[in-house]
Parts: sequence; structure tokens; C-alpha cells
Amino acid sequence: MIKIKGLSLWYNKGFKALDNVTETIETGRTVVICGPSGSGKSSLLRCINGLEHFQEGEIFVDCLSVQDPKTDIHKLRSDIGMVFQHFELYPHMTAMQNITLAPIRVRQKPKREAEENAMELLKRVEIPEQALKYPEELSGGQKQRVAIARALAMEPKIMLFDEPTSALDPEMIKEVLEVMISLSRGGMTMIVVTHEMGFAREVADEIIFMSNGRIIEKGTNRSFFDHPKSERTRQFLSRILI
Amino acid sequence: MDLNVISINFKFMIGGLFLTFELALMTMGGGLLIGIILAMARLSLRPWLYYPATVYIHFFRGLPLILVIFWIYFLSPVITGKSLEAFPAAVISFIVFESAYFAEIIRSGVQSISRGQTMAAHASGLTAYQTARYVVLPQALRNMVPSLVTQSVIIFQDTSLAYVIGLREFLRRVNLVDAREARSVELYLFAGLVYFAICSAGSLASHRIEKQRERSYH
Repeated sequence: MIKIKGLSLWYNKGFKALDNVTETIETGRTVVICGPSGSGKSSLLRCINGLEHFQEGEIFVDCLSVQDPKTDIHKLRSDIGMVFQHFELYPHMTAMQNITLAPIRVRQKPKREAEENAMELLKRVEIPEQALKYPEELSGGQKQRVAIARALAMEPKIMLFDEPTSALDPEMIKEVLEVMISLSRGGMTMIVVTHEMGFAREVADEIIFMSNGRIIEKGTNRSFFDHPKSERTRQFLSRILI
Repeated sequence: MDLNVISINFKFMIGGLFLTFELALMTMGGGLLIGIILAMARLSLRPWLYYPATVYIHFFRGLPLILVIFWIYFLSPVITGKSLEAFPAAVISFIVFESAYFAEIIRSGVQSISRGQTMAAHASGLTAYQTARYVVLPQALRNMVPSLVTQSVIIFQDTSLAYVIGLREFLRRVNLVDAREARSVELYLFAGLVYFAICSAGSLASHRIEKQRERSYH
């Protein structure tokens, strides 16, 4: 379970990226965050696994406070998988090496075991034949599937997705969404920043709309699309849903 | 032209080339090692690491090498009470001086790696050290190879400056032969040829590595 209490984040020069955000995300749920660019969605994700240092408020991941100096942040992060808009695969490593790096170095798994596990994951994302390829030899959709496999290799309790399909060609979006849908159905706790409203309709338990660093509206799947409460949400939805 | 003067003294002069290589290689090894440490300190957010490293780098990049050689050679006996031999004095001055240059090459190489890479590594639970060791440095080093080779060629050429403290490296030996035989034209043309051959081999190697890198990333 993730508990966010009164979270505020300023970037230097005084820009307020997050403004008093409070939210609880129950284990096993899929939450979709949407909103215009610059609304603080990605910053919020990065605060959850301690990649961003926030000035006010608190975040608890399974009762551990993210910014408490006593919390082992490396351990905490290793239990939270993250997938990025621009994949961020390590270009000097093969798909296999990308996936096994953290299990070997952080979890101290034997190389053999890590590789067998990686192969299983590559089968799950349906590209076992790409194991020995380097990222530059893969298509965008394949890269993102390797990135998802890399995150899953740590057997995370939570998965964060930061616009995972925004940098993909349209015909590759589906293959990535399919993997994410099956993860969600498998009971993974997921927070997904995305504008893929089809995905949201299909699997989101809750949808959050953010603007200017605040949560403007949140609702269940149905209520959010059919009866948006705020004008701002309605405007946004009318722009992205044709 | 009397090329005999070269063949007669060839062994003596080329013998100096070993010293030249030794000095250059030790400088590259030591300079690279200290350069990595300096660069890491300079990239650190901790002021007690950042400021000393930054001052060190700016300081030595603002001085001529020959002055640093004089300093180490003449000042170290004053400080430690023991006089230094020419070779160790040269090695120390070169490493002290060149590590500042290596540090800047490494810093810019590391900064050429996008922040997303570091973020991805941190997000998977890798520590700062592991992120540098397995993710950032391998990529950065690859980007740095051309600059590092160029700097190494410069170091090789600069070793001749060690003659000022009496180190009998290659150029100094040519110089000694000339003092005895008075055949400046032949001897210095020969010396130029030797430096040119070795340095262009280095540049050529660097060029090839760069080409290879363009072809593929691995």
C-alpha cells in the first residue's frame, strides 16, 4: 500500500511541481494518472521511489517512510519497478544483461539463476529470441518490453510506469499495453502515467486527473469518463478523446 | 649529411626511448586513476569533495608543465628533507599535472551520459557506486576514448620536458650525442622522425577506434 500525505515539491527557482497531494493506493490496484504536461504526474512517480527529493509531506510504501534516513532506500527501490518513457535501457548491454544486472548486483543472485529467470520474463513479454540483441537493434516496442522485463526481474511489489507508450510508434503501442494489461490482471499494484484512455477504461481501478501539481479529480473507471465532476477534467477529456 | 652518426649512437639514443615510454605509461596509468577520482569528486554534490577537486583542476590547468616539474624537483627536498631522483620527480610531476586534464576529459564524458540512465539504475536499487561502475562509466569511457588517446599522445610529446631536471630520456640523449658529435641537422631530424612515427601511430589508432564506434556500439 502506498500512502501519500500532504506532498509538496519545489524545483529550484521556486517552481512548485506538486502542491499538497494526498492519496492512498491499495495493494493490487491499478491507478492511472493523467493530465496535461507539466502537471506533476512524473514528479509524483519519482517521489514515490525516492528519485526526487520533496520538501513537504510524507510518503509511505508498505509502512516505510520514503524520505526517512533510517529507511534503506536501495532496498525500497529494489521492490518498486519503474518503466520510463524513453526506455532507458543500458545501450552497452544486451537485453539479457539489462535484465540480469540488478538481480545479480542488488539481489546477489547467481548469474545462471538470474539468466534463467530473465529468459522466462522475455518469454512472458514474447521476445525470447531477442535475448542477445543490443537495445539499438530492437524496435521501440521491443525495447519497452525488455524494460518491463527488466523491472519485473526484481520481483517488485509495485510497478511505476511513466508514459510508457508516449515515445512509441502507433503500431507498437498495443504490444506494450497488452503486457501491462496482463500484469494488471495478474494482481500487480500499478501506477501508470498515461494518456491511453483505452487502457484506463480496460483495467484502471481508479483514475486521477492532475493539473498544476494538484489532484483535481479522482474517480472510478466509470464515473471518471461518464460523469466528470470538474470543468477542467471535462475540457481535458474532450481534448484527448476524439 | 652524415647518417653514420645516427647508426653509431642508435642504441644509446633508442635506450632513452624506453625511459620516455616508461614515463609516459606511468603518467597515463596514474593520471587516469587520479583523474577518475578527481572527476568523481568534481561531479559530487558534497561541497567538501567538489571544491578541493575543482580548485586542484583549475590550478594545475593554469600552469605550464615545466613549472610543475621544477616545483616538484626543487621543492620536495625542502618539504620532505630528502632529495628526489630525476625519474621519480618527473613521474610525480607528470601525474600531478596530467590528472587535472584527465579529470576534465572524464567529467565531460560522464556528463555526456543522460540522467535517465542514472535514474533507471537507481530505480532498480543499484547504489551510487554500482551505478557508476556498471552503467555510467562503461558508456562514458567509450565516449572518452578519442580524447584520452589525444591526451596520451600529448603526454608522450611532453615527456621531453623532463630534460630540464636532467632525465636522460630520448630527446636528452639525442642532445648529448649532438654535444659530442656536433651533427645537429641529422640528429634532430632523426629525433623528429621518431616522435612523428610514434605519435601518428597513436592518432591513427584513435581514429580507427572512433570509426569502429560509429559502425556499432559494441
